[in-house]
Amino acid sequence: MKEYSIVNTRLPRVDARAKATGEARYTDDLSMPNMLYGALLQSPLAHAKIKNIDVSAAKKLIGVKEVVTAKEASPVRFGLSPARYDETMYCSEKVRYIGDEIAAVAAVDPETALEAVSLIKVDYEELPAYLNIYDAMAEGAVAIHADFPNNIGAEVHQEFGNVEEAFKECDYIRTDKFVNKRQDGAFLEPQATLAHYDFNGNLTLYTSTQSPHYIQRIIAMVLNIPVGKVRVVKPYVGGGFGPKASASTLELTTCLLAMKTGRPVKMAFNREQVFMHSRGRHQFYHELTTGVKKDGRLVALQNTCYLDGGGYTSFGIATIYYAGSLLGAPYKLPNMKYDGYRVYTNKPACGAQRGHGGVAARAAFEQQLDAIAEEIGMDPVEFRLKNMMQRGDVTCNEFNMSSLGMKECIEAVRDGSGWKNKKGKLPKGKGIGMACGFFVSGAGYPIYRSETFHSTAMIKLSEDGGTADLYTASAEIGQGSDTILAMIAAEAMGVKYDDITIHSGSTDYGIDLGAYSSRQTLMSGHAVKQAGEDVKRQVLEALAEKLNVPVEDIDAKDGLILFKKGNVDFSKFRTQYIKEHRGWPEQPGGDMLTFKEAARIAYLEKGVVVGGGAYKPGELGGSYKGAAVGTSPAYGCSAQVVEVTVDMETGKVTVDNMTDAHDCGFAINRTNVEGQMQGSLSMGLGEALFEEVKFDGKGKIENPTLGEYRIPTALDMPNVKTIIVESDEPNGPFGAKEVGEGAIMPTIPAILNAIYDAVGVRTTELPVTAERLYTALQEKDKDKK
Amino acid sequence: MLPKFDYHEPDNMRSALELMSSLKSNAKIIAGGTDILVNMKKGVISPKYLVSLGKMKELFVLEQRKKGIAIGSHVIISELAESGLLWKNFSVIAKAASVLGSPLIRNRATIGGNIVTARPAADLPPALMAVGAKVELKGKKGRREVSLDEFFLGPGKTVIRADEILTKIIINELPPFTGGDYMKLGHRKALEIAIVAVAARVTLDKPQGIIKNVRIILSAVAPQAIHAVSAEKVLINEKPTEKLIERAATLAMQDCSPITDIRGGAEYRKEIVKVLTKRTLLNAVKAVNRKKVKGER
Amino acid sequence: MKKLITLFVNDKEYEIAVAPNRTLTQVLREDLDLLGTKEGCGVGDCGACTVILDGRPVNSCLVLAVQANGSQITTIEGVAEGQNLHPVQQAFVDHGAVQCGFCTPGMILSAKSLLEKNAHPTELETREALSGNLCRCTGYQKIVEAVQAAAKTMKK
Repeated sequence: MKEYSIVNTRLPRVDARAKATGEARYTDDLSMPNMLYGALLQSPLAHAKIKNIDVSAAKKLIGVKEVVTAKEASPVRFGLSPARYDETMYCSEKVRYIGDEIAAVAAVDPETALEAVSLIKVDYEELPAYLNIYDAMAEGAVAIHADFPNNIGAEVHQEFGNVEEAFKECDYIRTDKFVNKRQDGAFLEPQATLAHYDFNGNLTLYTSTQSPHYIQRIIAMVLNIPVGKVRVVKPYVGGGFGPKASASTLELTTCLLAMKTGRPVKMAFNREQVFMHSRGRHQFYHELTTGVKKDGRLVALQNTCYLDGGGYTSFGIATIYYAGSLLGAPYKLPNMKYDGYRVYTNKPACGAQRGHGGVAARAAFEQQLDAIAEEIGMDPVEFRLKNMMQRGDVTCNEFNMSSLGMKECIEAVRDGSGWKNKKGKLPKGKGIGMACGFFVSGAGYPIYRSETFHSTAMIKLSEDGGTADLYTASAEIGQGSDTILAMIAAEAMGVKYDDITIHSGSTDYGIDLGAYSSRQTLMSGHAVKQAGEDVKRQVLEALAEKLNVPVEDIDAKDGLILFKKGNVDFSKFRTQYIKEHRGWPEQPGGDMLTFKEAARIAYLEKGVVVGGGAYKPGELGGSYKGAAVGTSPAYGCSAQVVEVTVDMETGKVTVDNMTDAHDCGFAINRTNVEGQMQGSLSMGLGEALFEEVKFDGKGKIENPTLGEYRIPTALDMPNVKTIIVESDEPNGPFGAKEVGEGAIMPTIPAILNAIYDAVGVRTTELPVTAERLYTALQEKDKDKK
Repeated sequence: MLPKFDYHEPDNMRSALELMSSLKSNAKIIAGGTDILVNMKKGVISPKYLVSLGKMKELFVLEQRKKGIAIGSHVIISELAESGLLWKNFSVIAKAASVLGSPLIRNRATIGGNIVTARPAADLPPALMAVGAKVELKGKKGRREVSLDEFFLGPGKTVIRADEILTKIIINELPPFTGGDYMKLGHRKALEIAIVAVAARVTLDKPQGIIKNVRIILSAVAPQAIHAVSAEKVLINEKPTEKLIERAATLAMQDCSPITDIRGGAEYRKEIVKVLTKRTLLNAVKAVNRKKVKGER
Repeated sequence: MKKLITLFVNDKEYEIAVAPNRTLTQVLREDLDLLGTKEGCGVGDCGACTVILDGRPVNSCLVLAVQANGSQITTIEGVAEGQNLHPVQQAFVDHGAVQCGFCTPGMILSAKSLLEKNAHPTELETREALSGNLCRCTGYQKIVEAVQAAAKTMKK
């Protein structure tokens, strides 16, 4: 690969110091003079008609400035995708889950706002609450949404090849069911908002979001304000993982209250409200039937999936496709049939969460493949190597693997973990398992049908200083996009990392679809690279003209100008620069012209030096229905080996170590890539062993706390041996593609496969708590006798 | 958000007792706050007054006595977990302290709080009961000592009166050749409330000898920490063989009445009682047999 | 009724009137403008609100401000010395231990506290000391590596 100065290194993050010193400001840290505090009235019932809402007592409370219900709010429906705008700001006719928003209050302090909420009287007529997909789909069930009388909010049927015919050719066919549980994003920072509406009708919303752009559009649409008058600004964000990618009633409420009161309004979720809002991982009920030839060749897959979607669609309209499409790779699979059903239930709405619809499907599939490999007497690693796709292959559902380091990943974890010495040789109670996975590097199409660019970027060169300001609407949510975009800009421009100041996360800075579907490195990265190259070109062109040297003979790197064909006399310009900076203690020197001086020359020539970049993927994907979802300009892939110890007397599983190899195309920042791998794996471990949102019989969440919804602590997560594979993606900037979501894919099945290796039990229901495994071990012993 | 309340911080024990006597059940003592403040934030309780005994320095002292120790009710869990004295002489208490919650919780939670809140899965009561601990309760009218075996009445309920303050935990020195262990099963390795926990204490007449005293306390499997009575019975005056311990562990299963709740199922909990009873007994015996010198506890 | 209390925060004395039902987290953030201490859950489950109180790291969301009257408190703002980062902070920056940063102030304070009591913690001891601070982004590995690296730096 090419020699780069800045990318592919381990430069420290641009925001690490601010975060490590407490300087970083997250949304709840912000305040404005004359600020009011908002609070929401949320439904205590899972499914009920609203007969009457009486806000009179609330309005009378001293300190209350505004009370709004559906009557005062916009009736415009919204959601994540225009295909399913099934949400309104507040419920008017009925409530659909415990937590559904009914009204909001703005008051002088949080206590008064909460008290006012408690004074709002609502008369309900309870309806039957459907807390599982079976009850919701049963004959005679009340429609949760009138438009979907059978409570199936979305249905997908796809077939590639001919699965029925293909099964006839198979030597071995296996059917398995698999179910996970609803999960929560469990980011450390609860959602928070601050809205300000000025007297010229300009609305600014500060919010903990993954996509200022999507939020801006929804606010403009719902509150009927021109998009140009809505500004969404993302302060530091304490993690997103999916649930923060869609506009919420919290955000709309803050804006509405600010508009009505004429004062800034601040709101925030407490942890229980974070759970009630959810928009996290669905519960998926998969049934997979897979057929192979006796030599191990994968032939056909039939996948049926029911998604428990909760009360609204949110990102679920994409999830239902991903639950099928993301099994199309990384193995050669000529025949695939998928039938997906997303069912409305009276629980909080589910959406996208790290890995989206692919995580449960991948867990089910990779465990099944292991079972198949065992049945036909093949080593699991050999099975994957035999079936894996390679660069240039296209899946049966028309995803193009423009780069795919699957082989390198598998071999890396096989060798890095000592697989050959361990598989089949560990004592009972200890096991080793492996799995693979892949994921999109950015959704091929925006969530609303449009020809829009997915990312734009602007770089303004300083008039004096050779530094630059990079403007991007992309969202740094902890994953490190600010850092890698600054690195890309610096590399593209030929300046030093410290010469770039990045400004991000505001809709003022352009268009960016935001941090979801693991897209920003590739897509925002492309736009930034273009902008950087544009600035460099303008500087070099100005220089070329002034020095009378062909522009193709000049380059910039590390803040210096390179003349490719011998020395060029630039002394005249240095002298001028020094003259302009009389009195400066340090002046440019040395035998090379600095970028700073060249930038000055460009400014003196042009006055304004601004570079722009804009990226959208080309036409992607097939022509079948739903083809859009899962298309991407590139796909990342990974392989993982996990070792576990099972305490056979209690069923408790300890993950002892993990070896993970991820093909990210090209690591813009190696430390960041490793961090994303390790973080993904810890979320996968949590979901495999501990995480589960539980509901009582009335639809109330039983464990809306981080004490009873368990994410791994520092004692639960082992060390991960991270191996970066770089397959050099042609569609990615510098060859880069995703890591943020793809890395989680093999985690759950690698753990499940390791558990099977340890104790001979396959669990098809997550999480594998000690009790669940213990019970399975007892069953197994019983069967033996 | 915390509900409103009035806050008192009496200067000495006498005025504290005066205060508790007049405020009675309208007041609650706040020590570490890791239980009471959580419940107030959740809206479970809303006392009119919170009383802090922070000025009573005598409550913060862990003191060695002639034949045993007295632990002030406000000694924090971390101090117990860090106490060389406890690890040497009452290791089961130090062990239980070291696995309570997280380091951050341990730096605030107090031994008194962990007793008086009477949570069925609290970590210290079983360990304390295993060594026969007593609590000193002081009221305006006088003081009394109550054995922990008699202290708990059910979840959140104890014999303490509304005007009384738990001031000390008194533990008499243990006979020579005594060993103990505390084990807790949780989902994760920290921040866990026990699914099941067991504290075992065994006293032999001599190393490799027979059992003269045994206490097996089961936790999170009944409304409060309880003795595994039939398990204890079968071990007395016997040699602690693996087979006998296995039998005792099986008997312990019937000594408890676990429920199914958010952390685990009743049947599973019973099975784990057996496993943890066996393991803690084996460890307790091992600990005794490691002690070669009379006088080590 | 509000109580007049004195807090010594980051070596500065603050005399303020607070209602008894205000937690230390709230008072630090809202009354003293020390916004580096975060609130992730409010009930002691996550550690984002960690401060050092009289020498021990605690969940400040479970401390009443009135209980902290007269106490020495160190928040994240009191860790660096001017522009010079504390070795723990520098190590976090150098080793990729920071992603979203929300757990970071609490983690740094727990780590700092550990190293002041135990200059050579093992990996296990490090993980134990941090076990009350949840992180959803990093998987803890680079945090543990940073703390071990800081221990070496501080030894010198």
